Amino acid sequence: MFHGSGLFALLLMVLEWTRPGLSSPLRPICDLRVLDLYIKEAWDAEAAIRACKDDCSSATNFTVPLTSVDFDVWEAMNIEEQAQEVQSGIHVLNEAISSLQAFNQTDVIQSHIDATISNIVSIRQVLRSLSIPEYVPPTSGGEDKETQKASSVSELFQIHVNFLRGKVRLLLASAPVCHQGVS
Amino acid sequence: MRKMDGNGLKVVFMLCLAFVTTGGQSFESTVSQLLRDETEDLKCFVDRKKDLTCFWEVEEARNDQYTFMYSFENKKKMPCVVSSRFVLASNKTVFFCKLPKTLFFVALDVQVFRDGRTLYNRSLKAENVFFVDPPRNLTVMSSGKEGQLNVSWLPPLLKHMDDIMIYEVRYAVEGSHMGKVEEKAASTTLVLRDLQSGTRYKVWVRVKLDGVSYKSYWSSWTDPVFADTLPSDMDLLIVLLVLSIGLILFLLSLTVILSHHKFLLKKLWPDIPTPEHKFPDLFTVYKGDFKEWMSQNNGSIWGRSVHVFTEEPPSPVEILSEVSPTSYDTSPREERKPTEEVEESEQTDSGLMGGWREPPHANWLMEQMRALQENPESLSQSTLLQSHDTYVALNQNSQHVQEVSERQTDDVFEETLPLQALFTTEGTSSLSASHSDLGSLPQSSGSGRLSSQSSFEDPNHTWPPKGPGYTYMAVADSGISMDYSPMSSSNIAELRKHRIYTNEYKNEIFGNKWPFSSQHVESGY
Repeated sequence: MFHGSGLFALLLMVLEWTRPGLSSPLRPICDLRVLDLYIKEAWDAEAAIRACKDDCSSATNFTVPLTSVDFDVWEAMNIEEQAQEVQSGIHVLNEAISSLQAFNQTDVIQSHIDATISNIVSIRQVLRSLSIPEYVPPTSGGEDKETQKASSVSELFQIHVNFLRGKVRLLLASAPVCHQGVS
Repeated sequence: MRKMDGNGLKVVFMLCLAFVTTGGQSFESTVSQLLRDETEDLKCFVDRKKDLTCFWEVEEARNDQYTFMYSFENKKKMPCVVSSRFVLASNKTVFFCKLPKTLFFVALDVQVFRDGRTLYNRSLKAENVFFVDPPRNLTVMSSGKEGQLNVSWLPPLLKHMDDIMIYEVRYAVEGSHMGKVEEKAASTTLVLRDLQSGTRYKVWVRVKLDGVSYKSYWSSWTDPVFADTLPSDMDLLIVLLVLSIGLILFLLSLTVILSHHKFLLKKLWPDIPTPEHKFPDLFTVYKGDFKEWMSQNNGSIWGRSVHVFTEEPPSPVEILSEVSPTSYDTSPREERKPTEEVEESEQTDSGLMGGWREPPHANWLMEQMRALQENPESLSQSTLLQSHDTYVALNQNSQHVQEVSERQTDDVFEETLPLQALFTTEGTSSLSASHSDLGSLPQSSGSGRLSSQSSFEDPNHTWPPKGPGYTYMAVADSGISMDYSPMSSSNIAELRKHRIYTNEYKNEIFGNKWPFSSQHVESGY
């Protein structure tokens, strides 16, 4: 019995460590048209929700990342700082949009929400393919750091679009993996 | 107020200087274009340095105080320094403010106050109001194919945004106002197709951001570039074919002409027959003076015969109109020529002399001849001898000759001699092989006898009645100045038809002996 549970634990450790199916190295996705596709779909969702004039869902008060980009400041940051800012922002957006599923909304809005959640997963895959460091949750309470509040679903999706267009795209465009061999 | 005016002027000057150093002219052109394109009253744009500038136009330059306030993400509002500028291209004055710091992907609120009252209020996002420069280095070249042009250019200098630019290519035939537009995304080359061949085209290009992440206004058009399309292959082919065929035909005709040049030359520019070769030195030394030539030329073929002629008095010739068929039988004859002369066929001319009978009125004729000989110029005025009135009649056959020979063999022989003299050139004994000029004369046989009749210019002229033994020969000449021009070989046929034998007779037989315009020669039996 001990041997059986020990073997099982060993197997789980091995599987967790190797993570078959997930640890296989991804080919770097340097083509920004992939991200542009997700941005276009985010535009469509934002336009659809804006059309229903905040009557699509009753959800309010979302924690969302900051989307503003000062090019001088951004270009002064290194890749790790940029990666951390982007990964944390994606994490926050994912939680805010996922929280919408608990509320009632129309089918059209629901489909946009589902597509947005799926696109966020894909964007994470793209970042992983470019060897961008994963999100590391802050050790101390820093939720207000680099975040803001959104009062409506419409504003939530506007933030979502602006975040993808700005910081995420700038990070992908300057990924070191995509510029190897180019002096 | 004065201090503020002074400070304001300084600020304006500094800003102008700053804009000049950083592309002040581009600011003017941008402002000019946005004044036309942007519908908002408060116009804002982001330049290539990612600095946002907002401006508004003023109708009248008054000393109004403008206040510009802005805020990002609904945070604290901040002021911006307002400046003014006169835009020459638009002939308008604008007030503008360039933000010290621009944040993208975030809402921007702008407000303009004039004298404390809100003039303009606008909320925008900086990444949506980019104003890009036009493309650079526009190049248009022929693609090598008919009706196509290769267009290429370089994107404007805008960092990290080369792959999100959309281009618009406009092209039109030079001089035409109808143009076409083609859109191209990301790529900086385009092939224009289905163009007219051999035509000059004008091409422009402009650019804007694709609007997915960043949006922009359309840039201004580049300066036009001209290019010519290739001419139609068919046109070139037709020209080449025509030229090659023309060249081949030319070479062929040249070859034919060169190979048959002698024949063609003979046909187109025939040699004028000239008896110069038969009369050596006559025309070169004696200038056509036959008499002189005859007298000087003792060794020539004609010389001896002429000499014989000169020795003997000219034999009389009877005028046909006066000849009666029965009066010649008993006419006295001249003495025969020396035998040796008769034997030579070449000297048949002398025989001619001896063979003629002397008509009853020979004395009158003799006198006429002498007169003409002394005064050749009277030929043309001679009433006696007119080319129109006289003609050659030769009608002699073997029978007649035989009959005559029975009576007077010598005379017959002498009679025949003149005919031979008439129709032989150099040593040719056969009368049938006589002058080609006289070949038209119908010949009875090849025996040397000649039987011919000729009358010219008056086919209806009645011959003097021919007796059983009469031979008529009349010769009409146009003068001793021989004019051979009409007497070409081609004209002989004509002469044969019209029976004109003037020149030949005269030149060969009588020469300088009888420089008459016309002569009568008759022999009858």
